[in-house]
Amino acid sequence: MGFLSPWLLAGLGLLGLPLWLHLLRRHKTTPMEFSSLMLFERHTESSVKHRRLDYILLLIARLLLFTLIVLAFAQPFLMRNVPAAGAEKTLRLVVIDDSASMGYGDRLAQAKAGALALLDSVKPGSKWQVGLFSSQLRTQTQLTDDPASLRSAVNAVSAGPSRSSLGELARALRGLAETNKTPIEVHLFTDVQRSSMPAGFSDLELGAQTALTVHAVASSEKPNWTVESVKAPRRLGDPKKARVIATLASFAADAAERRLVLACGGKELASKTVSVAAHSRAQAEFLGLDLPYGLNRCEVRSEPPDQLPVDDKFLFAVERSDPKKVLFVTGPRSERSLVYFQSALESAAENFYSIDVVTAGQAVGQNLDKYAFVVLADAGDIGPEFDQNLRRYVEAGGSVWAALGPASAVRRTTPVSGEPIGESRYTSRAGERFQSVDTADETHPSLRGTSRWANVRFYQFSVVRPTASRVIARFSDQTPALLEQNIGEGRLLLFASAMDNLSSDFPLHAAFVPFIAQTANYLAGLEDHAAGFYVDSFLDLRQGQSRASSVEVLDPDGKRALNLEDSAKAQTLPLSRAGFYEVRRGAGRQELIAVNVDRRESDLSLIPKEALSLWQGKGEESQAAGAGNPESQTKPWSMGRVLLWAALAALLAESVIASRTLRVEAA
Amino acid sequence: MLQRFLDPKVLLNISGLELTAKTVVDGFISGLHRSPDFGFSQEFAEYRPYTPGDDLRSVDWNVFGRTERLFLKRYRGETNTRLTLLLDRSASMSYGSEGVRKIDYARFLCASLAYMAVGQRDAAGLITFDDDVRDFVKPSSRQGQLQRILHAVDRSEPGQRTDFSKPFFKFLESIHWRGIVVVISDFYARPSDIVKTIAPLRFHGNEVVLFHVLDQGELAPQLKEPKILVDMETQESIEVSPAWIESVYRTKIDGHIDQLRTEARGAGLDYHLVSTARPLDEALREYLVIRQGRL
Repeated sequence: MGFLSPWLLAGLGLLGLPLWLHLLRRHKTTPMEFSSLMLFERHTESSVKHRRLDYILLLIARLLLFTLIVLAFAQPFLMRNVPAAGAEKTLRLVVIDDSASMGYGDRLAQAKAGALALLDSVKPGSKWQVGLFSSQLRTQTQLTDDPASLRSAVNAVSAGPSRSSLGELARALRGLAETNKTPIEVHLFTDVQRSSMPAGFSDLELGAQTALTVHAVASSEKPNWTVESVKAPRRLGDPKKARVIATLASFAADAAERRLVLACGGKELASKTVSVAAHSRAQAEFLGLDLPYGLNRCEVRSEPPDQLPVDDKFLFAVERSDPKKVLFVTGPRSERSLVYFQSALESAAENFYSIDVVTAGQAVGQNLDKYAFVVLADAGDIGPEFDQNLRRYVEAGGSVWAALGPASAVRRTTPVSGEPIGESRYTSRAGERFQSVDTADETHPSLRGTSRWANVRFYQFSVVRPTASRVIARFSDQTPALLEQNIGEGRLLLFASAMDNLSSDFPLHAAFVPFIAQTANYLAGLEDHAAGFYVDSFLDLRQGQSRASSVEVLDPDGKRALNLEDSAKAQTLPLSRAGFYEVRRGAGRQELIAVNVDRRESDLSLIPKEALSLWQGKGEESQAAGAGNPESQTKPWSMGRVLLWAALAALLAESVIASRTLRVEAA
Repeated sequence: MLQRFLDPKVLLNISGLELTAKTVVDGFISGLHRSPDFGFSQEFAEYRPYTPGDDLRSVDWNVFGRTERLFLKRYRGETNTRLTLLLDRSASMSYGSEGVRKIDYARFLCASLAYMAVGQRDAAGLITFDDDVRDFVKPSSRQGQLQRILHAVDRSEPGQRTDFSKPFFKFLESIHWRGIVVVISDFYARPSDIVKTIAPLRFHGNEVVLFHVLDQGELAPQLKEPKILVDMETQESIEVSPAWIESVYRTKIDGHIDQLRTEARGAGLDYHLVSTARPLDEALREYLVIRQGRL
């Protein structure tokens, strides 16, 4: 029972009025002399009692009248089980959570048993549908009244690697409600993980005709350990310098000692025992990673296994290879650029690159496919033939980094992309002392941690008028300083100035080295996937709409994840399983992707009961009552009309009693 | 118009009990002049055939002369009688809900009866009592008897509780003549006790008349709200509600009156209920009509 306007209950204070009238006013009687009380002696007491009884009845009638009126204004309601409206048209769903956390202990078995019990209790002939829910809702059967198919669908459920998302479930149910235009009755069997709640409670909103009953299979928070993250180099140059840092997290568990094992290719390389406090994290560091050349499948696992084994190991891939080759095309006035570029690239933490330096003329006969990327020290030095080669190279998946130095003044268009170049500007000639970078996109992989090139002075630069390129940074006069364009499978990065200390003082600033290193990694496709991939995330397969080359993906079982059409056209690949995906791109590039179970599944803390009740839109009592009877639903029933009728009856009773009493008094 | 002057409230404004009695009785008598059959002197009552043994002095010889048949001529009130008025002056008699107390009404009634009796040259006397005899005027037809009675009546103010037994036993001891005894009281006692106490007067050959004087507030009390009633004689108090008064009390007072009337008449006593709201001469008229031929 509840009240829609409970503040109106304050009106119960009106009950004091009849109490005052009856208890305080009634006894104000004045003594009166009478000749003889001889005839009063025997029945006086009973007469007073009779009068008091009259007054008490009147008082009760008045109190009842006031109480009923106040209650009626407070709009009370009762939660009642009523037959479901349009029961024969209702879409009834049994949804079982098959997220990774359901693999904890016997939770999935409990959920299946509950679902089977529910299906056993339903009225014969009623139609039901079985669905699974993790990151999205997937129906497993058609709407059917065949108990065998429903039961077999329930029995076939197993815990998957995905993360549960109640927000996605609510969105799917809203979509179902809008599509079917019929009432939906949902019985959800889940472990009610807190981490499956969306950021905003409003995302859980269900349709008006959707009745949700949550059958929780977890009643308390359970202890769990997980290897939360592993920080390891993706490319391995010097095995002795490699460092692997693993983080072990404890959820609702007491302090314990756990053993972390580093293994690659099925071979245990090292192990460490760490002490992790209750509700805390601990790290273990492994130095040295002696791996064979090629792509290596590694993992850090926690031992002994706990009741949720899927999060006990964290997968990561390491590629050991020789340094990548970079073609540096220089010109007559590009010696300084080579010095600064080479110095910056070699001073990076891990040098994976070897630089082949050629002149523009020598570059024409080079096989570009063996280079990770090509650097043009000054785009003005290259001829049209090499420009064509570069174009083909980029479209096939290669990357070009072109600097528009002083020699670019003779060019009317940018190399590879062919965008117009307005002029080559010298700030001293224009009466300006220098240009600085005004705006920069710091989220771009090249510019991360470079402080937006603060205080860098540019004295010479080319004015590019972009048509298809994306401007990453601009000078003070809003002309582009850094541009990027995806062409075919590859990309072109244009730097509007030179990389020497004559066109700018950029090489003398601290931001220069990370800019060169990060841009090299970005163009070579070696940028660090620090966060890694989790199940249900998406892998970008190609840059644009080009079908220049196909992409082949092998799933964790070594089978093709894409058919021929998708290999040629698909832009992304959903990573639906935990394990290693092998990706083979054009130009002989190959990479190994490690996909792990989302670590939010490791936190087994529960959604508060209040939040669950609020989501279901009913109180706990009615939830318990309605859970066992899927053919009916619990709905609020207003008591206002009943109370008003009762108040009317009380008013009539009060009138009768009062008239009888007051008539005597008035006589 | 005359009735208006006999309203008890009007009589209260007349100073002097003799004047009040004179106003009542003279007005009452003058209103009766068209009814010559009523009176207090010796009057012809009937003829009766002579039977052997009858007193020959009663034979109407004129009738015998005309018809040669013997008839006896019968008269009423062949002798003067003695009227003894017994006035209850207990505390309960001071009750009056509409200005006229019962004791006032009783005194008017008492004075009027004494005035009529003395005017007829009957001997009249008075006894006032509450729980004992408080005043006694021996019946007499001498000169100045009316003034003595009226004086005694005038000084009769309500006193103690009512107790019929003591004054009536004393009265029985002192009474040695036959006559009419008029008891004026509110009779707040058990009817059987009252009749049992008064009935012996009848055995001595007296005509006993009970005037039951009650106020309208006693016959039909009207309360608008619960009241605490205080007994005027015992000072007891009790809370009563209007509904109880309306229903139960009226039944009880009616029962009390009926029982007293029944038992009084059963014992040969005349009983007259007199409400203080009624005009005094009306009460006298009713009484005399009933007692026609006896006085």
